[in-house]
Amino acid sequence: MRLPSFNYLEPITLTDALNLMEEYHGRAQPLAGGTELLPRMKLGLTHPTYLMSLKEIHELKGIKSNKNELYIGGMTSLREIFLSTLLQQKFLAISEAAGSVAAPPLRNMGTIAGNLCQDTRCFFYNQSYFWRRGLKPCFKAGGNVCYAVPGSKKCFSVYQGDLAPALIAFNAKVRIEKKGSSRIIPIEELFSGKGEKPIVIADDELLTQVIVPIPEGIYGSSYRKFRLRNALDYPLVSAAAFLAIDSEKKVKSVKVVLGAAGPAPVIVKEAEDILKGKKVEESAINEIAEAAYKRAQMVDNLGLPASYRKKMVRVFTKRAIENAFNSIK
Amino acid sequence: MKGMKKELITLRVNNEDYEIFTYPNKTLLEVLREDLMLTGTKEGCSEGACGTCTVLMDGKPIRSCLMLAVEAQGKDITTIEGLSEDDELHPIQKNFIEQGAIQCGFCTPGMILTAKALLDENPRPTEDDIKVAISGNVCRCTGYAKIVKAIKESSK
Repeated sequence: MRLPSFNYLEPITLTDALNLMEEYHGRAQPLAGGTELLPRMKLGLTHPTYLMSLKEIHELKGIKSNKNELYIGGMTSLREIFLSTLLQQKFLAISEAAGSVAAPPLRNMGTIAGNLCQDTRCFFYNQSYFWRRGLKPCFKAGGNVCYAVPGSKKCFSVYQGDLAPALIAFNAKVRIEKKGSSRIIPIEELFSGKGEKPIVIADDELLTQVIVPIPEGIYGSSYRKFRLRNALDYPLVSAAAFLAIDSEKKVKSVKVVLGAAGPAPVIVKEAEDILKGKKVEESAINEIAEAAYKRAQMVDNLGLPASYRKKMVRVFTKRAIENAFNSIK
Repeated sequence: MKGMKKELITLRVNNEDYEIFTYPNKTLLEVLREDLMLTGTKEGCSEGACGTCTVLMDGKPIRSCLMLAVEAQGKDITTIEGLSEDDELHPIQKNFIEQGAIQCGFCTPGMILTAKALLDENPRPTEDDIKVAISGNVCRCTGYAKIVKAIKESSK
């Protein structure tokens, strides 16, 4: 498959990149690892006029930390995040999520910012031009029909990023910059909850950094991903769990986040009420799994039937919580 | 597209420098195969899933179908053609032949380069390490057992 035509831009500093984004009035599409965007361009799902590679901007790469926070540059590769001993020790769920993306060669290329900003997917949309041309465009393609749920008034495409659930479990934030200004928002605010346009980031803005607060005390975390093959596949369901306990093993705080369960990561808000102040027991875990099951929105538009994927929400929520608890040392 | 201009790019492939006059929308895979005639690197799915287009960039396996040729400038690229020295095959290549790890051969260049990157980083991989390393390379003849064995032999 060939790439469509575009003009190529290659800034070597962040300032240059932000200037170019302003100069081209939001028509300069940032290209990070390329593992998500280039296949979409090959399928004709997007046609940027200007493609701006960020690979030469070294200031956007690398992992740093101080006493309170961890900073991951937007262009840091998923491989580096997966292999970082700091992340494996203190942010296990994030490392596990990075290590579960696709396969090793794609993790060498894919970046954390690219993974966070990936578009939602659907069997009726992520298809070749040849396949799609026989049908009227769906909501995601700018039309007004949905082939996944005929008669529906909205898009049911699914957000299948691996990193976002794990980062939200750690209350991470992202720095978004444009020329002359910079803002920091919690990662959950990056998502609109709408399948048509799932990522809330303006055309002249760039996601430059991920900031993760370093939790205090005793805690553990885990990311569990359900897919048909153990490599390459996007998650069909995933769950990230963060669990902090006190010296009596009672839960101080807990956060459970689902992936591939709707157009945005889903926070299982009930978890805090169910577990806080109590010991981690099977009945409570089952109760959270049930709450997660109810929150997941699934339709028949990915690799397995929605009913089956929804049942797997319970299973993977439980596994994530149990593994988070077992990872506490 | 109106205005898309050819650019002169310099690529370092298999320790040789090449100057190529090409369009920015050419992938590294297309330039390797069509401009440099290095057709050992194969095009399979063209969207990063199959692994046949794997080449090494600064020693690490990457998908050449998802890398623009312009972006590969200044990097050291190794293709399957760069492994043998003179007429002597690389030990991994020999082991693939001896162990019968080649059937149709289409996945072989990607498999061998992925194996080389693994062995350079970890000269004594376990069987599980090998399976994880080649997890992004699909063999539709499904000769995985012999491929794993050939890589294992190469680690001795």
